[in-house]
Parts: sequence; structure tokens; C-alpha cells
Amino acid sequence: MIQIKDLSHHFELGKKGSKTSIPVLHNISLTIDKKEIVAIVGKSGSGKSTLLNLIGGFMRPSKGDIWIDETNVTKLNEAGFADFRLNHIGFIFQNFQLIPSMTAYQNVELPLILKGIDERKRTEITKKTLKRVGLLDYHEHYPSELSGGQQQRVSIARALVLNPPIILADEPTGSLDSETEADLLGFIQQLNQELGITFLIITHDDEVASIGNRVIEIRDGWLMEGSVSL
Amino acid sequence: MRIRDQFRFVKQNMKKNKMRVFMTVLATAMGCAFLIVIASVPFGLHQTFVKDLLQQDTINEINVQGIETDEGYQPITEKDIKNLRQFKNVKAVTFKSYIEQPTTFSIDNYKLETGAMAVDFNAERNAGISLEDGTFPSKENEVLVGYHFATQLFPTDTDKEEELYNEKGKLKEAYQYQKEIIGQTFQMTVTRMNKDGEEETKEIPITIAGIMEEPARDWMMDTEVRISESLLHDIEQYTGTPNGQITIPNENIENEKHYANITVYSYSLEQVQTLTEKLEDNNYLVYSVASSLNQLNMIFTIAKAGLIFIGTIAILIASIGIYNTMTMAVTERAPDIGIMKAIGANPKVIKRIFLLESSYIGLLGAVIGTIIAYMISLFVNFVIPIIIQSAFQEELPEGFKFSAIPATLVIIAIAICLIVTIISGSRPAKKATRIDILKAMRREI
Repeated sequence: MIQIKDLSHHFELGKKGSKTSIPVLHNISLTIDKKEIVAIVGKSGSGKSTLLNLIGGFMRPSKGDIWIDETNVTKLNEAGFADFRLNHIGFIFQNFQLIPSMTAYQNVELPLILKGIDERKRTEITKKTLKRVGLLDYHEHYPSELSGGQQQRVSIARALVLNPPIILADEPTGSLDSETEADLLGFIQQLNQELGITFLIITHDDEVASIGNRVIEIRDGWLMEGSVSL
Repeated sequence: MRIRDQFRFVKQNMKKNKMRVFMTVLATAMGCAFLIVIASVPFGLHQTFVKDLLQQDTINEINVQGIETDEGYQPITEKDIKNLRQFKNVKAVTFKSYIEQPTTFSIDNYKLETGAMAVDFNAERNAGISLEDGTFPSKENEVLVGYHFATQLFPTDTDKEEELYNEKGKLKEAYQYQKEIIGQTFQMTVTRMNKDGEEETKEIPITIAGIMEEPARDWMMDTEVRISESLLHDIEQYTGTPNGQITIPNENIENEKHYANITVYSYSLEQVQTLTEKLEDNNYLVYSVASSLNQLNMIFTIAKAGLIFIGTIAILIASIGIYNTMTMAVTERAPDIGIMKAIGANPKVIKRIFLLESSYIGLLGAVIGTIIAYMISLFVNFVIPIIIQSAFQEELPEGFKFSAIPATLVIIAIAICLIVTIISGSRPAKKATRIDILKAMRREI
């Protein structure tokens, strides 16, 4: 499903002529199978978010390849990766990343609009997805009118709406209280079991990592050998 | 992403900052209105001049003033007229052979001294010249008179000539000849000089067969009498001079006889240009309304292009506003753009949405600008004649247009407006596609 080969990345800081290279990831090789929930843990600044950003195509790796469903995504151009993301990957962010001027319904509908699905079908899918996350009654609410947990559910609905095989989640419970967190984790497990969605979760929270079939630790940019199943 | 959804996005985005969008549309509308109004002046004047030329009803006419020979400029002779009639596409050749002496026409107690000329009635009929009343002459002594002939006949049995005319110098209606003139026989008085140098007169009876149409221009007065060529010949025989000149009789009348106002008629307007060129190739000195129309068109086309260019500058200034608005919009919406890109929005789609937005502003501005321009144009056409009339005491011709906005001008203005706004929106649109997803989501832009 996701195959990472020899992935390295460094940031370049400073102006031209006096640039400093700061390595973030070193020779990461990793395979994530279908229907797996994989938690990537590590301290702040360890490189785990960078790994997710590279897999999601938000930045280009300095070296190595990432294969997702037989596609070497590192070879895709910006437009190509955008299309690939739309069709294959859903995202859940720590800060939800909902568009504040759009209602919950409009935020969930957005990927369907981008894909060019007609309005009637869009309405049907959007409502069904909102119902699934338990927010159909809140569809006309703007993000500012929803609680953190509700916002994260809208964000999950948006990630789910196009039925992607993979969801990348970056600290999905980072902005939630413990009760909402437990709720959300249960929901993620449910989606994994019912829809067979592969989850790659970046977290530094043991509670979140505990739902993973595998937990992989990244320390100072290195993938630690013998990552353990919890 | 469907076009309909893209439009919906544009509308939503524009609603987010109504005032800024309104001001930008207003600036574009003003630029567009300025372009249309300024360019409408040559369009209006052009229309007026062309209408004026076409009103003369002489659009398929070519005037032949003479012929250039090795001996220099020569007047047109009878031989030339026959030659002119041989050219291809010539419908008719008319001419006027003026009687070169003052001729008087009288009936009962009325008389009028006016010009007289011999014409070829058949050629006039073929040329399509129409009459106000009556028919073309068929007999030697029958004539056609100008439209104002009857109104200018003045009574001879009054001593108070100053009473006959009103303040405009026109014969008062009460003193005008009241009877129907068609079919009436007038006496035409012709003068000659005998061999002793003394003047003698002779009266020739003529019958009016028809009245010419009213001249195209209000200020023209036509009282002239058209006689047949054979009547002119009789007059020449009597005076013994060409064209009835009052001089010592001459034996070579025919050789010295010349024609004036030679007009060649083509079948259609399209043939005028080629026929004019052919006549010029044959050394004829010609003038046609069609050729002056071409020159007029060229001058006005240059004027139109120049003023459209000046008007475009106004739109270019307005485009700075559009550039500013779009740049602000991109900056403000950077986080939203980042999110859209993160979930899979193609950069092309994002670019298209911003381009659509700037085009929409341009189109809206162009439409409003066109409406404003039409209103200004109507106002100008209404007010300018009043100002000219009151300030300069000049009466403008009927239908005078100072400003005209044809569909072509509107299309040109809208096209310029759209092109300029798309260009000014393209850089911000490109900037939107280059937004870094991570920075945008962290609100770092």
C-alpha cells in the first residue's frame, strides 16, 4: 500500500551562498499494508510530521522514493500530486483546517466539488457522510459554531467523503479533551474495521498510539529498529 | 471542478469583501465608460458625415470635370459624352449645356429670370432621376422646371417691389403664382447680338411638362429650366453663337460647343470605385462621392483607433485597482487556498477561479461602463446642439450626432476591458497557485 524506500530529507536555511543544511530524516524505509493502523511516534522535532508531509506531497524529499498503490508519488508534479491526493488520500489535521467561511456541509462537500461530481450526487454523499460522523443536524453550522470534537468530526467527514483508501492524520487529537479523544479514537478504529481504510497517525500521545496495529518510533530523524506492537 | 461550481466559488469570494469589489468594479466601469465616450465622438461625427454624403443621393454618381490631353485640360465635348457611354457598367451619362445668357420666362403678369440648360431627357430618365410632379418632356418645346420655379415667379404689375418679399427675402405667398404650372405655356425670351452689335430679342413658347424633385439640402433653391437639346440648337441658330452667347455670331458653333456637369451613373455603389479608376486611366478628371467616402472612412478610422488607444489608458489605470484587489484577495484567502490544495485542489483550478474573479470584475465594470457611456452619449447629443445653437447662433443639421455608440465600439471596449483585467488578474492568480500548503495552513502567509 505505502512503501517508503531510503527516504531522506533535509531543510535548507539561510540565504543563497550561505545556506545551512539541516537533516531531518535519514534513510527511512517502511512498508505499511492495507487496512493497517500505523502510529508514528516520536518527540517534538523528531521528524515524524515531516514524514507525513512527504507522504502527503506537501513537500518534496531530498532523497528516496515513496510508493503509494503502485505509484511513485515522488515523481509526480504538483498538479499530478494534487489529483492523486484527491483520489487516494484523506487528511486529518491537528487544527482541523476547516475553511471558516464555509458551513460544515460546505467543508465536507468541498472534495466532491473539486472532483467534479454533480450536485445531486454530492448532496447525497455529503449528507450520508455527515450522518456517519453524527453531525447531520449541524450541517449548517460554521466551524466557529462547533466544538473542537465536532470540528474534528467535520474534518474526518471531509477526509472520508471521497472514500479514500488511506487517511493521514497529524496529531488528530492534539486539540481535544480526553473524553472527546477517546470517542474519536473509537471512531477511527470503527472506520478502519468497517471500511478497511489504512490510517497513518502521527502522534506523541501513547493513548492515540495504542490504537495502532503497529507503532513506529522516529528518533532524531532515524526510524528505530524493532518498532513494537502495543 | 465544474464551471458552475467555479462561478459559485467566485460569487462567494466576491461577497466576502463587497466594498472592495464594488470600488474596483466602479473604477473599471469609469475606465470603460471613458473609452466608449471618447471613441464615440469620431463614431458620431463619422455617421453624421456619411449620412450627409449619402443624403445627397449621388452615391453612384461620378462627376466628370474635363479631360487631360497633351494640350492640357480640355472641356468635355459631344464626342467625349459618346465615349463615356461606351464604358462598362455605365447606366447613363447626363450633362448640362447651359445657355450662356440670362433667360426670362413669363406668363400672364408673372415672370422669372433664371438659368436655363439643355439636357438629354432620355439620359436623365435612365439615370433614375425622378420628378416631383408631371412627366419627362416628349416634345421639343416641352421643359422641366426646378422645384422652386413656381414660387419664384413674381408679379410684374406692381410698383412696390419691396413689398413682394418677406424678411427672409422670399416672395410672399400672396404674390406667388397661384395656378398649376404643369401644361402651361410660358414665353422664353432669348437675346442675340446682330452683326451691327445691337441686341434683339425673340420669344419662344415653351410648355412645362414636369417639376424636378426638391433639392436634397434645405438651403438649395432650384428654379432652373431644363430644355431639350433641339431647343438649344434652335437658340444657337438664332444667336449664331455656341450656347446662345450674346456675342457677334460665330460660324463654328458645333466645334466650340461644350458641356458642363457631366455625370456618369453606375448601376451600383460597388461599381463606382472601379469605374472611377477606369475613367481616370482614360485621362478624365473625375470626382465621386464614393471616393471621398473612402477618404473620409480612412480619416475617421485613424481617429477612432487613436481615441480607442487613449481610452485604453483609462482602463489600464483601472487595471491597477484590479491587480491590487486580486493580490489582497489572494493574501487574505491564502489559508483557504492552502487547505484546498491540501485536500487535492489542482493548481490550475485555483488559478482559474482567480482569473474568473478578475474577469467577472472586468465584465461587470464593462457592462456598467457601457450603460453609463450610453447615458452620457444621449446627454451629449441632446445638450451639445443646444449649446452650439445658443452660444454660436449656428443651427446644426437635422440628425446631427456628436456621439454614437455602435455595437462594434461596445464589443471593442468590452474585449479591451476583459483582456486588461485578465492580464492584471493573472499575476495574483499565479501567486495563488504557488502558495505553500504548510505555510498557508500554519497561517504564515
